[in-house]
Amino acid sequence: MAKSDDLAQIIVGCKKGDSRCLTQIVDMYASRCYAYFYRLTGNRTVSDDLLSELFVKLTEKFSSYKGGSFEGWLFRIASNIFHDYLRGKHRRTKLFDARKTQVELETTEPRRSDTEGVDKLQVQLARLDADTKELIMLRFYSELSFKEIAKVRSEPIGTTLSKLHRGLKRLREMME
Amino acid sequence: MNGQNQENLEELFEQFFAPEQAASAVEDVCKAEQILRENPAPEPDELLIADIKWQIEEALAARKPAWTFRTVAYRVAVAAVIIVVAAIGIQLLQKGPQKPSKIEYALMIPRAIWDSNDISTADADLALLTAEIRQVEDEVLTLELGERRGNGERAVAELEMQLIAINSNFWEG
Repeated sequence: MAKSDDLAQIIVGCKKGDSRCLTQIVDMYASRCYAYFYRLTGNRTVSDDLLSELFVKLTEKFSSYKGGSFEGWLFRIASNIFHDYLRGKHRRTKLFDARKTQVELETTEPRRSDTEGVDKLQVQLARLDADTKELIMLRFYSELSFKEIAKVRSEPIGTTLSKLHRGLKRLREMME
Repeated sequence: MNGQNQENLEELFEQFFAPEQAASAVEDVCKAEQILRENPAPEPDELLIADIKWQIEEALAARKPAWTFRTVAYRVAVAAVIIVVAAIGIQLLQKGPQKPSKIEYALMIPRAIWDSNDISTADADLALLTAEIRQVEDEVLTLELGERRGNGERAVAELEMQLIAINSNFWEG
């Protein structure tokens, strides 16, 4: 992990449209952002697409970054991209439901390559509700403080704390 | 930059839970996070990372012409404003004390002549006055020349007074 000063310099470069600095941001955060998407979707192909979308969007939006927690800003964009994906998925599912075709079965049924190597954690995470799962992933992969997470989610810190505590406790019980 | 390192979980939970509950909550959070660390998610493919970097290059390249056009347009606009301001400034400086316009010349003509409906009489008066002024001017000039040759100032003063009297009679109509 780069020091704060280094990161600040890289961010300045990114704002100027320096491709070298943007590449450094990819190297620094791709792993964590990919894990965030993978744990939320459980699908490598979708995670690939979302990660690409995230960094291309980041390139376009860097001029709008006005300081503050960079991770907070980055994961807010990641969270928005994930929600857009969910909305799109929901629309597609509704469309397929209406048609009652074989297409639905093919799209909702995970491909073999996607389920290969799915770990126990992923299986247990799927049993949590979407909001709690997202909160846990945001906490773990963004490495933000509870205060920053509450800000990203635009909710009181007490709500964030109790939701996360309940979710992690349940996950712990399921995993043990 | 990492906010988690700076926060005291126990203190934070104690703000919302009873002390024993807070300790238990902190333990739950730490153990669950330990489970997440022990079960790492897969890493992104190297090809995917290379592709993302290529996409970033493409996005930047696509943005460049628009940026260049905006910059050039901005600079041209600024240059145009500077040129216009400079031109106006030079024009104002060059003007200096203004010559009287035609209207101002007209205002110098005595009201009696200006208002008169009898154009022929007014013209005759004006011609007479002009002739008188010229005559006095000639006399002044002659006297001035004579003064240089040793004539007194008094005659000049008298003539000047005469000229002033004619002039004021004229303006009074």
